[in-house]
Amino acid sequence: MPDDTAIALHGLVRGYGRRAVLKGLDLEVSPGKVVALFGANGAGKTTLLRLLATRLRPSAGRALVFGHDVVEHGHEVRRRIATLAVFGGAYATLTAREHLRLDAALRDMASDDDAFTALLERVGLADAGDALVRTYSSGMRKRLGLARLLAADAALWLLDEPHAALDHDGQDLLDALVAEAKGRGATVLMATHERDRSRRLADASLVLDDGRLRLLQPGASP
Amino acid sequence: MNDLLAVLWVARKDLLHETRSKATTVATLFFSAVTLVVLAFAIGQDAELLRGAATGALWVALAFAGVISAAQSYQADLEDGAFDHLLTTPVPRAAVYLGKLLANWLFMLLLGLLMLPVTFVLYGAAWPAAWPWLLATLALGTLGFALIAVFYAGLTANLRARESLLPVLMFPIVVPILLASVRASGALVGSDDLALAQGWLRLLVGFDLVYAVLCTAIYHFVVEE
Repeated sequence: MPDDTAIALHGLVRGYGRRAVLKGLDLEVSPGKVVALFGANGAGKTTLLRLLATRLRPSAGRALVFGHDVVEHGHEVRRRIATLAVFGGAYATLTAREHLRLDAALRDMASDDDAFTALLERVGLADAGDALVRTYSSGMRKRLGLARLLAADAALWLLDEPHAALDHDGQDLLDALVAEAKGRGATVLMATHERDRSRRLADASLVLDDGRLRLLQPGASP
Repeated sequence: MNDLLAVLWVARKDLLHETRSKATTVATLFFSAVTLVVLAFAIGQDAELLRGAATGALWVALAFAGVISAAQSYQADLEDGAFDHLLTTPVPRAAVYLGKLLANWLFMLLLGLLMLPVTFVLYGAAWPAAWPWLLATLALGTLGFALIAVFYAGLTANLRARESLLPVLMFPIVVPILLASVRASGALVGSDDLALAQGWLRLLVGFDLVYAVLCTAIYHFVVEE
């Protein structure tokens, strides 16, 4: 049943072969909260994000997004989420504007070229909107990811290392966008290694360590 | 959204990619043309033998080119997590499969239409009186091939040995499609036996329907790990 909890994990387990990566996670995140997720490389941060994005199935336990089970109601979950991949998640042979058109069509949203232009200006891609993504730097690809994130107008943002590849201005822009998203009531879960920036943004900080989640106290080191 | 529109957008995305990269076009055109020439050369100058082998050679060329096309169909998706992003949009997995299938099928059909006259010239075969049925055979045969190829290419897309695993996995399944296609087109080109061709075509329609329902229904298991 749909409910008001943005993210709910109940004994969530996920492994690859015999290796358990997530060993029974329990968590509840209220709507409108920004949560930073820390952890060493290979700790399972991306695995958790991919589970919530319906790309992976849990080995045991349940994950719910706004009350919808990620396995049983994947379609309902996907209507409420937007993701930002580490490398931007863009097709090299499409332009930024074509990505926005494709996303709008797949999300059943109006395709408004003026709105796309404004979005591209917002993320600093005004002059590159009609160039193929293969001509972009990694930072520009990430900025396109930000534009797609904004265009999706989703209730839950799942961000995988959002600050990576962005220059200083880009990181400031990302922080501003996350704060805006929170302002309009969206929930944000971001897996990150950017300790200072992320903790300034986040309402709560979690650490994934040895397959389990623990709350990071203010001022403590991940 | 209208799932049919999603299918068309996914297909458009794949076709746009191919028109800009031309990676698959160049490889498959070259490969299928070389296959046809080498087979014609191997058969020799016996005109009767050459004519009899025409449709078989055409389907061999299309099958091998089809494997290349299928293996490439997920290449762009795998870069930078683009497919991951696509699969987090609220589009049914079946629509993603059907979109990729549509793009792959159109590509193979176009390749077949290009190779058809090349085959007729190289092998000295006569254009059949019932040529619309030959085109129908080409359409149904390439559809059946693409149904299986796109499904198995998705299954092996994340594997390191995908290039070698794909043909090993898909060819045993695709054999009935190829046999029916070779027989149907052979009956039309070799002996203008429309009744015999239609029998094989009915079988081809049956295979296509079964594979279409099965692959579409279980594709979500392929893309959700």
